[in-house]
Amino acid sequence: MDVVLEADRLGKRYGSTWALRDCSLHLPAGRIAALVGPNGAGKSTLLHLAVGLLKPDAGVVRVFGRSPYGDTEGLADIGFVAQDTPLYRDFTAAELVIAGGKLNKRWDAALARQRLAQLGIPPDRPVGKLSGGQRAQVALALALAKQPRLLLLDEPVASLDPLARREFLQSLMGSVADSGTTVLLSSHLLADLERVCDYLIVLNSAQVQLTGAVDDLVAEHRQLVGPRHDGGTIGGVAAVVRASHTDRQSTLLVRTDGPVTDPGWTVREVSLEDVVLAYLADGTTQTSHSEWGVPA
Amino acid sequence: MIWLTWRQHRKQAFYTLLGLAALAALLVPIGLAMRNTFGDLGLTDCASQLARADVAQATRETCETGYRRFGDRYDSLNLVAVLLITLPALVGLFWGAPLVAREVEQGTHRFVWTQGVGRTRWALVKFGLVGAGVLVLATVYGLGMSWWVDPLTKAAYEGRLGMIVFDLQGIVPIGYTLFAVALGVFAGTVWKRMLPAMGITLAGYIGVRAAVELLARPRYQPARTQTFSIEGEGPPEVSRGDWVLAQGIRNPDGTVISEGGRIQCPPGGKGPDGRVCGAELGLEPGAYNWQLYQPADRFWLFQGIETGIFVALALLLLYIAVRRLRRIA
Repeated sequence: MDVVLEADRLGKRYGSTWALRDCSLHLPAGRIAALVGPNGAGKSTLLHLAVGLLKPDAGVVRVFGRSPYGDTEGLADIGFVAQDTPLYRDFTAAELVIAGGKLNKRWDAALARQRLAQLGIPPDRPVGKLSGGQRAQVALALALAKQPRLLLLDEPVASLDPLARREFLQSLMGSVADSGTTVLLSSHLLADLERVCDYLIVLNSAQVQLTGAVDDLVAEHRQLVGPRHDGGTIGGVAAVVRASHTDRQSTLLVRTDGPVTDPGWTVREVSLEDVVLAYLADGTTQTSHSEWGVPA
Repeated sequence: MIWLTWRQHRKQAFYTLLGLAALAALLVPIGLAMRNTFGDLGLTDCASQLARADVAQATRETCETGYRRFGDRYDSLNLVAVLLITLPALVGLFWGAPLVAREVEQGTHRFVWTQGVGRTRWALVKFGLVGAGVLVLATVYGLGMSWWVDPLTKAAYEGRLGMIVFDLQGIVPIGYTLFAVALGVFAGTVWKRMLPAMGITLAGYIGVRAAVELLARPRYQPARTQTFSIEGEGPPEVSRGDWVLAQGIRNPDGTVISEGGRIQCPPGGKGPDGRVCGAELGLEPGAYNWQLYQPADRFWLFQGIETGIFVALALLLLYIAVRRLRRIA
């Protein structure tokens, strides 16, 4: 299994706050991976480290086996669309395609033009005057024209309306399906990406909470409902991710390592969203009572 | 990269040239009129004649009168000259400060630095091209100003080394402009937003320029002293074109009797009423006028030193800016 993106105890600090800490993950080749986490979880930081915009403060990150920070040659293999799809707003789409050609050794201008024509993007209007969805499509077309082996998209659909989201993701899937490009796209909403991704990385509070193939994650997690649980071991359960109790009953979301045979528990399958929410709730919120001057 | 730089800045370049053309349209007629008047008043040869030791008293008086009349007519242009020395600062504000700050403010640095060109190369090409454009601009400005301000300078006592006119002409505008642009770029890498970067550029530019002008420039070379007799016929003897840093009247033992002033007594040192000239000030026989000054022929030396200082500062700022760039994401 080829690993495209690899992080080992990766950390990035802004002042005394860690935006990303002890982040270890592998992204296998050919996957469409969703990077999910609430706002401020460190998603952008991780992507910026992967594309070499940031230098790690701890650990290492490798893309195709190379350290991306300051590695201009390695950039040729990475397509990156930053948050809010920043483009030179006074440039037309056609000029941006030319600009990309001047800035890259490998550049498929015909592909970009073909895509933009198909999407009905006007070539001679400043991109600042296009709609958010069209601008996102221009940014994607520019990233794809690099013919990247890894495509990183930072919150590509956050500012789009539901219809434009769907169109954007569809056109993204259409274009990477044949090329075998590995894609990592972030969002604070799993629902946006659930339909397209087959690999998942969940970040919360600067740390990796969960990572793995979607099928495996769904297969190995179960919801158990049964009599109030006192914290003892249950056969077939590797870890309790989240538990909620009433007086007589407990509902557990667990990671299993075998079949749960105890007849006291009702076992239910879970959706990917259940799993993600369980892991996100696990991240502790730092309270700030003293800063606010209110009693805890 | 070159194409991108041109495409990004062509509109700005167009407006800059337009502004420069408008300025030229305004200043060239004034400059021509000034030159005509200068010639009509017979001042063209005055500079060389006054420099001779054996200059006739009559010539001296004609020239001084001409200079005064020229001054009456055109001295107000010195205010215009004050406005003109702000131009390098404007170039720094509008060309330097947005160079990095606008990219970061609009997030486009994340687009351009993740293409196949590294950000160091991006910075070098961009700074290089904008720097070259600004260099041409500043050279044209410096030459134009040298031409324009020439009659005003000749008519003024302190000559080309004088405070405002020195800053306008020769090669120092190149140093100032490059410094202003580099300061703007640097400020953009620190504050990363256009308005703060522009504000810091303006404040920093004024601060550094004032410090160099007031503290460093008078000391580029040890100043010379010169003494004049307090007795003489006609208008007081002056050293035209020299930059006078301090002057006063001293007694023979060197004590300063009056600072900032001069005295001119009739030959023989006696006033009309028969008293000794200047006795009421405490002058003793043999007192003299004294001045501390930088001679006029040091103009190009001083221009060179000052340009060197600002070009060095500009290079230092750009170096730091390129280093800081690596930490921006």
